[in-house]
Amino acid sequence: MSEAHESARSMLQLCDLHKRFGATPIIRGVSLDIREGERHAIIGPNGAGKSTLFNLISGLFSPSSGSIRLAGETIEGLAPFEIHRRGLARSFQVTNIFSRLSVYENIRCSVLWSLGYRYSFRHDVSKLRDANERTDRVLEQIGLAARRDVRAGILTYAEQRALEIGITIAGDARVILLDEPTAGMSRAEAARAVELIRSISSGRTLVIVEHDMGVVFDLADRISVLVYGEIVATDAPARIRENPTVQAAYLGTSLHA
Amino acid sequence: MLEIVTFSLLNGVVYGLLLFMVSSGLTLIFSLMGVLNFAHASMFMLGAYFSYQLGRWIGFWPALVIAPLLVGAIGAAVERYGLRHVHRQGHVAEILFTFGLAYLIVEAVVMGWGRNPIENRVPAVIDFPAFQLFGTSYPAYKALMMAISVGMFAFLYLAFRRTRVGLIIRAALSHPEMVSALGHDVPRIFVLVFAIGSALAGLAGVIGGFALLTEPNMAAALGPIVFVVVVVGGLGSISGAFIASMLIGIVQTFAVALDYSLLDLFNVLRVSLGRDSPFYELAAVKIAQAAPLIPYLLLVAMLIVRPRGLLGTREA
Amino acid sequence: MSSASPGSGSSQRGRLRRWASQQRAWLIAIAILIVLPHVPGLDGNFGRSLLSQMGIAAVFALSYNLLLGQTGLLSFGHAVYFGLGGYAAIHLMRAINGGLAIPMPLVPIAGAGAGLFFGMLFGALTTRRAGVVFALISLGIGELVFAAMRILQGFSGGEEGITANRGLGPHPFGLTLGPQLQVYYVIAFWSILSAALMAAFLRTPVGRMCNAVRDNPERAAFIGYDPVRVRFVAFSVAAMFAGLAGGLHALNYEIVAAEAVGAGRSGAVLLMAYIGGVHHFFGAVLGAITITWLQVSLSDYTTAWQLYLGLFFMAAVLFAPGGLSGLLSMHRPILRTRAFLDVLKTYAIAAVPMLIAAVGAIMLLEMNYRRATQPDAGARIRLFALDLDTSTPWPWLAAILLLAIGALLFRRTRPLVERAWERAGAEARSAGASSEAAG
Repeated sequence: MSEAHESARSMLQLCDLHKRFGATPIIRGVSLDIREGERHAIIGPNGAGKSTLFNLISGLFSPSSGSIRLAGETIEGLAPFEIHRRGLARSFQVTNIFSRLSVYENIRCSVLWSLGYRYSFRHDVSKLRDANERTDRVLEQIGLAARRDVRAGILTYAEQRALEIGITIAGDARVILLDEPTAGMSRAEAARAVELIRSISSGRTLVIVEHDMGVVFDLADRISVLVYGEIVATDAPARIRENPTVQAAYLGTSLHA
Repeated sequence: MLEIVTFSLLNGVVYGLLLFMVSSGLTLIFSLMGVLNFAHASMFMLGAYFSYQLGRWIGFWPALVIAPLLVGAIGAAVERYGLRHVHRQGHVAEILFTFGLAYLIVEAVVMGWGRNPIENRVPAVIDFPAFQLFGTSYPAYKALMMAISVGMFAFLYLAFRRTRVGLIIRAALSHPEMVSALGHDVPRIFVLVFAIGSALAGLAGVIGGFALLTEPNMAAALGPIVFVVVVVGGLGSISGAFIASMLIGIVQTFAVALDYSLLDLFNVLRVSLGRDSPFYELAAVKIAQAAPLIPYLLLVAMLIVRPRGLLGTREA
Repeated sequence: MSSASPGSGSSQRGRLRRWASQQRAWLIAIAILIVLPHVPGLDGNFGRSLLSQMGIAAVFALSYNLLLGQTGLLSFGHAVYFGLGGYAAIHLMRAINGGLAIPMPLVPIAGAGAGLFFGMLFGALTTRRAGVVFALISLGIGELVFAAMRILQGFSGGEEGITANRGLGPHPFGLTLGPQLQVYYVIAFWSILSAALMAAFLRTPVGRMCNAVRDNPERAAFIGYDPVRVRFVAFSVAAMFAGLAGGLHALNYEIVAAEAVGAGRSGAVLLMAYIGGVHHFFGAVLGAITITWLQVSLSDYTTAWQLYLGLFFMAAVLFAPGGLSGLLSMHRPILRTRAFLDVLKTYAIAAVPMLIAAVGAIMLLEMNYRRATQPDAGARIRLFALDLDTSTPWPWLAAILLLAIGALLFRRTRPLVERAWERAGAEARSAGASSEAAG
């Protein structure tokens, strides 16, 4: 279990972030300072804007105002691929894989940029030792080594979720955003997923959106609660549990998972 | 000079309205279903051929009404029995289906009426001068084309804005799932919209068949221009399609009247360009010659300056 | 296969043997290409001409599939790069005719160069959008270039085109390119080289990303790649090989005209790639061979051959979106089962009513087509070695009857085929033979 990294440098900084769609404000002034090596969970009722927040950070949307800094570098307004190249990777709530490629190909494509191959014409990917080794390692980590030649589109749901995480971590990003990674999983599958997440996030900064409170309290160093586009509390898990504002927002929902 | 300008403007407006009639149907279908109907210009062609044939059997005025309805029925059948089976294969398959359909419609037309242009002459009943301008008469059938176009748009505008069916269609345009959840038969709406769009194109074909040559190639001649209109105007925007149609219609019509080339400009500026210069041929091209290029040049310009199109809303 | 035995000489041979077995398919293909023009039936001028045409079409279709099947870009204007490559080549040929000392077999390189140049030029404009918009823009650019070619007659020769003489130039190794056999071998060389290069491209990092961008452009961005840039690369490479095909076209026909950039040619390559099958690399070759053969042979028998091609295409879109190669590879899982023979038997049974219906349909189409397009040729028509008088109702009734009977009988045989497939599929699954390999 990692400790609070109070003295660690700021890895991901959101400053007064706003996002409006037309006239409707979705994110209304979110400020967050996530430290290096931290495991930070974002929870909140449905419609709070958690996915929108991820989309803002990862570059799918541009904020209406406010700034986002990755290790001190401004990234708001950059395209997703530019943000990824600076070391931020994200997974998706709705599985977003390359369905016609094999499991192996899915992962191998995800390692290419970080290994520096870019738009190379000169290499044959089947002969790239470092790419293939890293791919094999990731496949072992996510438990899909036995299914490496299966076409991703026909994997089971849990396998696809594992592949989703695999694609996200394959690029060796320093900040990983996981969007409801255990959605739709059984207890056993979720427990396995938590172990996987724990192992892949060691040495990295993790931001995770989750509904499963068990997962959240198991993994997180700190928790932020997002309600109607605003952060109402950011604290250690134990103190979040006792926070009356948070309890009010989750009226009726048990926080004691 | 003023005469040329006025007549070019009038003709340009007629042509632009024709383009809009065809492209609005295409935009409607695309907005609702995401299907780019390659066979849309074929509906235009069918309208021309049907009105010719029906005109010979039952006279012009009944043909004017029945031909577009026939084309609309064909459009409905295409959607109901053909396209519907291809929807689940994705947009590429849908486009390819309509592409193959366009091909087959041309062959069907050839089988029905042969390869040569047919004598689709302006019916005698509307073949008279409508009015005189600067000593030259303006043909009545062109005025009729304008009147029919404007009338059709007014009718459609009212139908969409004031009737319940129109309301449902407009809702389905932006929120098909919601409309379906409310109990409306969205596939039926698809068929209806496809029919309306096709009928519009068919009507354009009826009146356009006189102005343009009625031959099996007319769909392939008009089709790309209509697509340019849709892209330049911005996918999914009917007002954009209107602006782009009028722009292309007027500019192209004016261009045909201009018998000048870059070479003439050089002569005026007293710049000489040798005959053996590789650019001589390029400079010698007259604007009238280059008129067919204008829609595509506009497309390229739009791509460079504003890829979204003039008023683009819906993305592919 | 081969063992690494001690001693540098034999381990080198071992490596060579390993490489050869990996490249088995390519080596077989090369061998076939070398032997083909000597096969009886193909060893005349007509046969070798046909093979040359197929080679050109194969390169063109492969380049198109790079766009459609591998990167998910549907283009209606790919002939632009074919034609512009052809024009570059034919002008180079004319220069060689005028004394420039470049051997003719190198001319396709000019085609490739022109294709690459224009591919990058137009690609920079068009690859920013994908999907439907890209398709429309490709159509617009195709029309633009076609119209421009018709206007700039000095460069393009307009509708009539530009000619050159492929035999007039330096003759290295006695290669005059006079006989069609020599032309065929030059084309075969460039074809297999192009195919190998395109296959190699697909194995590069950017080539793999083309597939990824096809499947999920959004996710491709989130793993660090700009989908627009990937598409641009794919587009440029595809245009380059299309230009090379155009260069081969110039060599073969010694003439390039405006139709080489026209919508008809763009449509033809789309047909070839799609009917061949877009999910497999080899599909484009299959489609090119099939369509070229159909175009050449059908036009001998009927003036309605374009109609048949169109029907063929529609059938593929509706019933066999994977094309011919898809249909073939569909059988791979059940190839080893005993029930496979039963499946083949049911095919034979179902083929009979299908043929009957086809005969009826063909009769109707042909009679109609003749009536519409050649009204002066009279009412008598020769079909299937029979003289028919189309002014009487009998041929029409016979045709309708055949069509109806064939369709009804076919309906009855379909369950037979389906059941045989079920048995074969079950057998394959239980044998574990149907592990779904990646497409």
